[in-house]
Amino acid sequence: MKRKMNFELDTVVIEEGCRASALATRIVGAVPASVHVRYVSDGRLEVRPPTGTRDPFGVGKRRMVIMPRRGPFLMGCPASSTQFACCGYLVLVLASNCPMDCSYCFLQEHLANNPGLQLYANYHDAFNELDRLAHTGCERSFRVGTGELADSLAFDSLTGISRDLVSYFSKHEALMLELKTKTDEIDNLLAIDPRGRTTVSWSLAPTRVFATSEHRTAPPQSRINAARRVLDAGYKVGFHLDPLIAYPGADQDYLELLDNVFDGLPPRTIAFFSLGGLRMTPGLRTAARRRFPKDPMLVGEEVLGEDGRYRAFTPLRLRLFSKLCDRIKRACPALPVYLCMETASAHHRVFGAAPLTPAALSSRLAGNW
Amino acid sequence: MNSPDVERRLRRWAEAKALPPAYVQKCLTLDEPSQKGLLQIAESLKMHTGQFIAALTLLDEIAIREGRQVDEILAYPSVRRVLNSTGSGPGRARILLDELRTLRYPRLKRAGQRLAEEVSAIKLPPGIKITLPRDLASDEVRVEIAARTSTEMKQLLECLTAKSGEIVRLVAMLDGADGGGLEVE
Repeated sequence: MKRKMNFELDTVVIEEGCRASALATRIVGAVPASVHVRYVSDGRLEVRPPTGTRDPFGVGKRRMVIMPRRGPFLMGCPASSTQFACCGYLVLVLASNCPMDCSYCFLQEHLANNPGLQLYANYHDAFNELDRLAHTGCERSFRVGTGELADSLAFDSLTGISRDLVSYFSKHEALMLELKTKTDEIDNLLAIDPRGRTTVSWSLAPTRVFATSEHRTAPPQSRINAARRVLDAGYKVGFHLDPLIAYPGADQDYLELLDNVFDGLPPRTIAFFSLGGLRMTPGLRTAARRRFPKDPMLVGEEVLGEDGRYRAFTPLRLRLFSKLCDRIKRACPALPVYLCMETASAHHRVFGAAPLTPAALSSRLAGNW
Repeated sequence: MNSPDVERRLRRWAEAKALPPAYVQKCLTLDEPSQKGLLQIAESLKMHTGQFIAALTLLDEIAIREGRQVDEILAYPSVRRVLNSTGSGPGRARILLDELRTLRYPRLKRAGQRLAEEVSAIKLPPGIKITLPRDLASDEVRVEIAARTSTEMKQLLECLTAKSGEIVRLVAMLDGADGGGLEVE
């Protein structure tokens, strides 16, 4: 029986060289009969923005292209910068773009020139890169995530890649996998023992943000329920309150969201929280507003900062960080909380202390502290 | 005025002012009462093209956030007061834009005023200047000392030392912990 696919596709395009790959076979066998499957010599041409449409990015999300990854799979987090106190996150790029459609998503700008959903048939090659990372000889642990250029689990009902990943990481003490998602697609995970080496993390927002801005994602409570289930199955669980959107009344909504999380999962069982304010380059803001002209979350009190991004003005943003941090620390003082894409001084103002180095924070979040 | 009239007059005004096509299009997608309201402010305040673009952008964003139509925003008492006031058209247009910015960024406006009041309350001499971050977009506060003689510099430094507690408090206020101006009304 075909498994349910939680998003809509018009076409699956497969590069000829990947026709016989396990990934292509799995996907062709799993997509509904209504999805047109065709083969091409070079998949790169197929991920480009379609012409003749007002929303090439949105249309691109309905075309899946299975092709080899021609560059490295492993890279530093694209959000990292010397301007910020970073978390040392490493990104494993197994897919590009996401079938969900959050109005604020940075991919609208980042992938504007190649919006097709790319899945890499040679993903097993990524394990060679991870082997090299695991054997660098240094003492530290590495936190590696697949949820930066795509949602980690959005395609999993079709690809089943999570099983291979969790199984690989379960055998490597120096590596911690983070699967970051806004779905509740956890069925594949429940059948495998992660042996403490996989964290499943959910980006969470209040229902108000979900309703206006997080299109085709799972409702917040479904995400929390899914988190509870993977926790019970032996996974670590983390939460990203990111992007925090400082609309009027946001403080109360986010505090209620935290209450819902703590009702669902004992605070001491949560691996971490990250907090990140909504940030948008002018290009992203223009693209997002063009695609979602009626979204009230895109017209908040953001101002242009020194790094060229719009963010909620500083006292508003830091106050929201502090309130949420206080609530989390009240629930469990030892629970790690960090800020994403914020300066060391912002970190100091919120936590009253200097941030850890990226390597130290990465190690801590990888569970080896 | 019926709809074709409003649209024709808006197009005529836009053509005379060389309004870029994207903004003309934006006007024409608004409902009729909003088009009418925009035309009225453009004509009665003798708006420059840039002023009109700024007003349209602010009104559109306020309308999205508050779930209202542009004509409803133009009917707010604070906006009506500006529109019904006396003075030159372009001068009133500037005041209207200030009011629309206040509506668009209400908490920023309050927080900025609150911090500016704190700076005034420190009562620094003319040789010391405190600059808050533009639009409160960062947490960096700049303190400048300008002196021409060693005596003057010594006096200013002593003054700065005496006021250090208040200045430190001001810098701390940028984390919003005091809640100044940030509460939801």
